[in-house]
Amino acid sequence: MISIQEKNNQIEKSIHDKADKLLREDQVDAVIGYSKGTIPMRSCPVVIRNEKDVDALIWNNFCSINLAKYLAPYIPTLKDEEGKNLRVGIISKGCVGRALIHLAAENQIDLENITIIGIPCNGIINRSRILKEFGVEEILKTSIVENELILKGKSFEKKLPIEEYLNELCKKCKVKSPPSLSSLSEICVGELQDISTIEDDFADISEFESKTTEERWAHIEDLLSSCIRCYACREICPMCYCQLCFVDQKLPRWFGKTTELTEIILYHLVRATHLTGRCVACGACSSVCPMGIDLHLITRKLEHIVKDRFDFTSGLDPETPPPMHQFKMDDKQEFMLEEE
Amino acid sequence: MEKKLLLKDQLSEFYNILEETYNFYGPIEEKGNIIFRKIKNPEDMVLDYSNSKIPPKNVVFPQNEILFEYKMNDDKIEIEEPKDIEEKKVIFGIRPCDANSFYLMKSFFKFGEYEDTIFLRKRENTILIGIGCNNPRQTCFCTSVGGHPFNKEDMDIFLVDLGDKYSVESISEKGKTLLEKFSWLIDARPSDIEMANELKVKAENIISTKLDIEITIKILKNNFNHPIWNEISENCIGCGSCAYLCPTCHCFDVIDEEDHYNNSGKRIRIWDTCQFKLYTLETSGHNPRPSKVERCRNRILHKFSYYPSNYGLIGCVGCGRCVNWCPVNNDLRVILNKICEIERKEESIIA
Amino acid sequence: MIKESKEKREWEPKIIAFLCNWCSYAGADLAGVSRLKYPPTIRIVRVPCSGRINPFFILKSLTDGWDGVLVSGCHPGDCHYISGNLVARRRFAILKDLITFFGIHPDRVHFMWVSAAEGERFATLIKKVSKKVKKIGPNTKFNNSRE
Ligand code: SF4
Ligand code: SF4
Ligand code: FES
Repeated sequence: MISIQEKNNQIEKSIHDKADKLLREDQVDAVIGYSKGTIPMRSCPVVIRNEKDVDALIWNNFCSINLAKYLAPYIPTLKDEEGKNLRVGIISKGCVGRALIHLAAENQIDLENITIIGIPCNGIINRSRILKEFGVEEILKTSIVENELILKGKSFEKKLPIEEYLNELCKKCKVKSPPSLSSLSEICVGELQDISTIEDDFADISEFESKTTEERWAHIEDLLSSCIRCYACREICPMCYCQLCFVDQKLPRWFGKTTELTEIILYHLVRATHLTGRCVACGACSSVCPMGIDLHLITRKLEHIVKDRFDFTSGLDPETPPPMHQFKMDDKQEFMLEEE
Repeated sequence: MEKKLLLKDQLSEFYNILEETYNFYGPIEEKGNIIFRKIKNPEDMVLDYSNSKIPPKNVVFPQNEILFEYKMNDDKIEIEEPKDIEEKKVIFGIRPCDANSFYLMKSFFKFGEYEDTIFLRKRENTILIGIGCNNPRQTCFCTSVGGHPFNKEDMDIFLVDLGDKYSVESISEKGKTLLEKFSWLIDARPSDIEMANELKVKAENIISTKLDIEITIKILKNNFNHPIWNEISENCIGCGSCAYLCPTCHCFDVIDEEDHYNNSGKRIRIWDTCQFKLYTLETSGHNPRPSKVERCRNRILHKFSYYPSNYGLIGCVGCGRCVNWCPVNNDLRVILNKICEIERKEESIIA
Repeated sequence: MIKESKEKREWEPKIIAFLCNWCSYAGADLAGVSRLKYPPTIRIVRVPCSGRINPFFILKSLTDGWDGVLVSGCHPGDCHYISGNLVARRRFAILKDLITFFGIHPDRVHFMWVSAAEGERFATLIKKVSKKVKKIGPNTKFNNSRE
């Protein structure tokens, strides 16, 4: 088995090659990717327009952002003067691919103008968890050596096994590279994965659900209570593309705007209902939360619900309409009240 | 004034005395984040933190602040004013940059014809007991924006962590009067003062980021329209984490929360930020800052152009919180450097 | 005198019921006209179709302090607007799954189908809902809960 470090290098090299080729042969106008972060354990999304600059593109286990965000809708700099979308290449780990496919299924993007540069992701490191574990000790430098993350501070040097410090969602991820589809082959370069359905026992969800109602509520309260409603989770989510989010609506104003616990929980609960069957389990929302709130339990549940009820997994096929866009006469209705 | 010493063992005594007359706020750890909260037990305080997650502005400018409550009975309306305005507060363990931000906020809330009495009264009733930063973070740049890790100007009492004790110095009148309560504090020895001075120099040397803010301010004046704003805002996602974690961001919204069932309600002031598209959205549907390009630009201009021209101050204290927590690592230091580059590039073109 | 008996009265839940105009509302009407007995715990809101129910209505009701929320529409296949209730059914399914997951008692929120001819079914189901909500007690999870 090759190490994580080596794999990163390979991926990075292939990103450079592919991006260089696409730009040089004028197949795309721009490539969206990650560049080196200015602080430990972060990366910085970047748009490359010239093949001379492709060396700025990197790959490591800190590339947490789901780049599909920048295409739904297209950010202003990815449009030409007439407002037409440019041809864009996008560095796609599995969940970026899934997001793109799902956005296409929701008619939010047109895959024709997009080139998916598929890469086999090897998981994203849980920055919040590490920072919490280190507390007031400042991490000054990090590096990935073999399969370990090396953290250097003023008076310490620690090694952490990367596998163990991945995001919870990454640990359970089954779609490491973008799903391959016959309709995608023309717009894809790089690595794809053949996948039409996922197998998952959702053991984590069953475990949580085996708790009592009160225990679950207490857990959720505890998890969310530090939320400051900065909406970073919403803004980073590739699926949160609404022009006007429900929490921002004023007429009627559905929910309060304070950080009362009730309002926070409602925000997250309604956001969850809106993402059912749409969340692509990229974990970006948890990665960006400045308060270090890990939303993976909720996002996992979303996947579980649609798998269980509608045998659906988001982002695998642009042709299948998402479950909340359709219905069947014989949908399960065990929850409906009956006389006996 | 000569300096005193407070042993760390004496901290709870110090707390007990203050707690009699003041609501005592200090940094504690809450779910892995350092936040200023009312202290029930002085042992809970985490004083060697290097920057709290939420700045202490929340003590005098909380995220949700009730301006008044009302209740309607038949034809009578009862209004209840908030009770905590005249509450006496002490903020213990505040850092120099955050103390400086209180000054900036005050300039804002005092500006112009309408003074914000709620904030100003609260600020007036608050005493700042700060600690110098022995270990500034990698992302700190207070020295570039007129601050210093040992800046004591904005505090009432200033402490320096000397290991097992603090050196104590009263700065303002308020601080002096307060310290009179603590006649039992022993005098600092020359060696302690020397140590504090050494720490000061050491701290200053740790700060590695040096930015040229003067030039930035000058450039910003003439470059409201410049392609650089596209570049700067390109990866911004428009969330509010930079503003909500910023000690100087003071924008707010006022909302009414009615309770239809009880004919009552509250008027609440909540944090808001120019990074949200709703911030400038007008009733007509028109938005003068329609995209993140304008919104990002506003954030920079407000801090580094409008603040200097309105109050003669820089609207950033260099704490580095937004640098650390920006989801997409859109680093403020990089942004400022890019702005400086504008001039350099133009110079080279002319040359 | 009156006050005293009020205090002594057993706690009764307050349930808000969203009934679709074409079936369930008529079903409730029929129950009333037929003088069927059911607990007076529900307050009815008439809506055009169960498809009109935004999950917000349900959550807002809970945070406003209603002890239970009930939504009732036409049986599948009978919706006046053909598929409103089928669309709604998926929404209800995920909403119920999610609130249960978050730790809100599943018996706070109920969904049922009642046609215009089913006055009796309506009365029976209302009894059932009341009993279930009563069993889990008052809704105090949210800060806005009211007396
Ligand atoms: S990113 Fe975190 S703090 Fe911000 S709204 Fe989401 S959960 Fe709350
Ligand atoms: S909810 Fe979170 S995990 Fe799901 S798609 Fe959005 S950002 Fe990704
Ligand atoms: S009309 Fe009754 S459910 Fe649609």
